[in-house]
Amino acid sequence: MIGLNHYLVLAALLFCIGLFGVLTSRSALRVVVCVELLLNAVNLNLAAFSVYVAPKEAVGASFVIFLMVIAAAEVGLALALVLTLNRTTDIEAIDRISALRG
Amino acid sequence: MSADTVMFYLYAAVAVAGALGLVLARQLVHAVLCLFATLFAIAALYLLLGKEFLAAMQLFVYGGAITVLVLFVLMLARPDPIAQAVRSGPTRWISLALCATFFGYLAFILSSSSWQTADAHAHDTASLATILFSRYVLPFEVAGLVLTIALIGSIVLAREEPPDSEEPEEGAA
Repeated sequence: MIGLNHYLVLAALLFCIGLFGVLTSRSALRVVVCVELLLNAVNLNLAAFSVYVAPKEAVGASFVIFLMVIAAAEVGLALALVLTLNRTTDIEAIDRISALRG
Repeated sequence: MSADTVMFYLYAAVAVAGALGLVLARQLVHAVLCLFATLFAIAALYLLLGKEFLAAMQLFVYGGAITVLVLFVLMLARPDPIAQAVRSGPTRWISLALCATFFGYLAFILSSSSWQTADAHAHDTASLATILFSRYVLPFEVAGLVLTIALIGSIVLAREEPPDSEEPEEGAA
């Protein structure tokens, strides 16, 4: 029988892999994609807690919905920023970007 | 081993393999496609948890909208292939040590903690809708506002400066 801990360890593993990706990526686009993985790991945690710990009400599942909204807003804004940076500067490596204006 | 266990390990293996592919792939396009595999596996895990609505939303929002949006930006932005590659050298090893330590710590905490689990029974989509439109109706409206603001903000940010060549970027999913 699959327990809660299975889901939690899987989510922790996905989170750590995503964190590694954020730390080691050089392009801003890759960072955005890795942040999506982080948010998904958190979502998996919330869904598992919702099923195993509080099965009376779907509170955790509603949190997952809210997190998906935030993730969609975040990725939209981040991709717009990436496009703008790509158009206005020649810099692609994220650690060389020091100014958002000008 | 029951069928649930086999399916959990199968989906978990796909999810972890996709995540590793995302982190290790040299080409950014391959990384995004690996992320899609992970998102798909997580949708399957939601189904395994009995959350059909979350699985559908996962496929629509992440698999459909966000992955396609990232691929479109990748085509529009034409990133520098050198900058696309992942970091090498000491940064990589320090990051690896940091993340491995963090995971070990998390796994230790999780293995030594016991949750007061109730009988795992999945609630249906109707109870999710009930709680979303009764107790959390204000956060629900605020979430809509956040999406609208993000949409407007990304259009403003991504708009071309000269008026003759405008290609507005569809922002949020």
